[in-house]
Amino acid sequence: MSVAVQLTYAMAKELGAQRLELEGAKTVADVLRMTRERFAADPARYDELTRVAAVAVNGVLVHYKRGAKTPVRDGDTVAFVKAAAGG
Amino acid sequence: MIKGYAGRVLEVDLRARTFSFAPLDEEIARLYIGGKGYGTRLLYDRTPAGIDPLGPENLLIFATGPLNGSVAPQSNRFAVICKSPLTGGIGNATCGGSFALGMKKAGIDILIVTHRADRPLRLEIDGDRDAVEFLDAGDLWGQGTYATQKLLSRKHQHAVIGPAGENLVLFAGIVSNERIAGRTGVGAVMGSKLLKAVSVRGSRKLDMEDPEKFKAYTKEVRKLFEDHPVLGESMKRYGTGGIVNTTNGRNILPTRNFQKGHFDRAMDISGEFLEDHELKGVKTSCIHCPVTCGRDVEVEGVGVVKGPEYETLALLGSNLEIGDIKKVSEWNYHADDLGMDTISLGATLSFAMELVERGMLDATLHFGDQTGITELIQDIGHRRGLGAELADGTKRLAAKYGGHDFAMHVKGLELSAYDPRGSFAQGVEYATTNRGGCHVQGASMYMESVGPLTINPQNLKLKADIPIMQQNIACAINSMVLCIFTTYGMIPKAVHEMDPSSFTHRALAFAFENLPGWMLRGSMRIKGKPMLWFEKWLTYITGTTFSSGHLQEIGARIFNLERMYNLREGLSAADDTLPPRILHESTFPDMDSGHPLHLLLPRYYKKRGWSADGVPLPRTLEKLQVRV
Repeated sequence: MSVAVQLTYAMAKELGAQRLELEGAKTVADVLRMTRERFAADPARYDELTRVAAVAVNGVLVHYKRGAKTPVRDGDTVAFVKAAAGG
Repeated sequence: MIKGYAGRVLEVDLRARTFSFAPLDEEIARLYIGGKGYGTRLLYDRTPAGIDPLGPENLLIFATGPLNGSVAPQSNRFAVICKSPLTGGIGNATCGGSFALGMKKAGIDILIVTHRADRPLRLEIDGDRDAVEFLDAGDLWGQGTYATQKLLSRKHQHAVIGPAGENLVLFAGIVSNERIAGRTGVGAVMGSKLLKAVSVRGSRKLDMEDPEKFKAYTKEVRKLFEDHPVLGESMKRYGTGGIVNTTNGRNILPTRNFQKGHFDRAMDISGEFLEDHELKGVKTSCIHCPVTCGRDVEVEGVGVVKGPEYETLALLGSNLEIGDIKKVSEWNYHADDLGMDTISLGATLSFAMELVERGMLDATLHFGDQTGITELIQDIGHRRGLGAELADGTKRLAAKYGGHDFAMHVKGLELSAYDPRGSFAQGVEYATTNRGGCHVQGASMYMESVGPLTINPQNLKLKADIPIMQQNIACAINSMVLCIFTTYGMIPKAVHEMDPSSFTHRALAFAFENLPGWMLRGSMRIKGKPMLWFEKWLTYITGTTFSSGHLQEIGARIFNLERMYNLREGLSAADDTLPPRILHESTFPDMDSGHPLHLLLPRYYKKRGWSADGVPLPRTLEKLQVRV
């Protein structure tokens, strides 16, 4: 079972990869934990980079679902999303 | 004369080569401010129903408002109003650059261009001498917008068209500096009049009611903007492209002609990527704007030019499945130089690609394939070969080749880059906005999908209320004439800095989402003291008190007048819809269908004070003082 993780640009720069493919994650909490583990050398950096980022599963913010307990399925995309404005 | 206005309307007759100055109509200014509002009133009153948008009867109106010519940040924009050749309804677009400042310095609030020249002309207006020169533009005809502006006098401020306008591309725009009044085909109307350029100069100063208060307060606002997370940070650093990764994460980034809302290579076309890899160290802005949302890029063989904005990155990038920002920048340059709207251009190209994919059109166009696109963009601008057909936009292409179900337009105007299946209020806004599928006649998506404090975008709560509030305020802002980005400053820094999963943030979002619609709309009707910066600027400049209640009322008046114009021109409730793909195809795993417009539109009509057929009721028009 594989879940894709769309990182923010700053996270991607830090990890040298635009997205992660995670095996074995069953909930959003698992995804967050496993993503944080990629920052093993500097977990505080993960905390800093995700502090104002919301989390979405397939585009839907998890706080409209079950928060960190939201289940994830094979093929889902979990995204770290920062507020922004464009035009 | 009301302070803040130059007090003059200049009317130019291209056929007779005559001009006249008339006093500004203070009653119209009081009711409609200026800009889009004033221009819409003029268009309604001075043109009969059913005119050919590209015929000599159409008016081309350049309109400023009382904020233009001041040093208020984001205030140097002008509006262009005419009947749209793309939609057959109200046409308008606003533009930054420097032309608005030029008009006000020349002592002109409104410029009305009538009839049609007998050969290509350009206008040189000297406001200090009250002189208008009708100059031959044969040498400029065929030149791009960059070259045209370089060849014109440096003492003037210019509004010009490129080959797309000359060749009546239905989504051609009007360019000032490197900015464009892009939407609804205003450039084609200018081209139909054989008018290549308007140049203005003058040395008049804006007369304000309370210049001291204005000056002191503007200083405060500049500081507020500089410290603001959007206006002073993300837009400044990344431009509007800083939103690409956000819309992608929310599954609303148009991809493959809106077949999907997520693009795997989105990061490669993001504002952050642009900042890291392509930016040439120069960030640009319209006059007096501290936001500097523009950025320069280097295009091979051309040099350093304006880089792509969010809409371009999406419509010419993800929507074509192109993840090469250099190519998108190159196409953006060509579109700007030809003088074309990149939103309609990108959407029409993606529609053609899907037609080809389905075997409905024979052409070498494929999603993800850059081959031949540069040449095709040139062909569109010059109406050559297949380009001549694409130059008429998506709606007409669908009429010829089929594919109505995936023709991504509303009223003929191609959708901009927020997929409404993940942003229901934005969908209502697209469906009902008078000029068609547009995101800057409101900005509902900011309150439900991309901003720092959003409501659930996929239920029905407030989804008919937010668009009304947004459309009204946008009408007022486009009449001042101010940049719509100013509204992004309304959510304070503290909210931006909250952890979205924190209790406080979630409680605020819950309270917002569960606000009764009547309370939200009622709160906006209060006519109290000016609170927001643009309310205060208007008040200090004109001497008349403007609060959110006043602006909502004026905005509603303008919106209803536009509506009446559209109804007069033959549009109806049947045009208040979304593309079938948006209504019936889901891009979210948990959704069975698409956007629930059928549930929201009746609510929207009722809250607007319209009949079930979408016609403003007499009492609504009377209350708003909309004379028809």
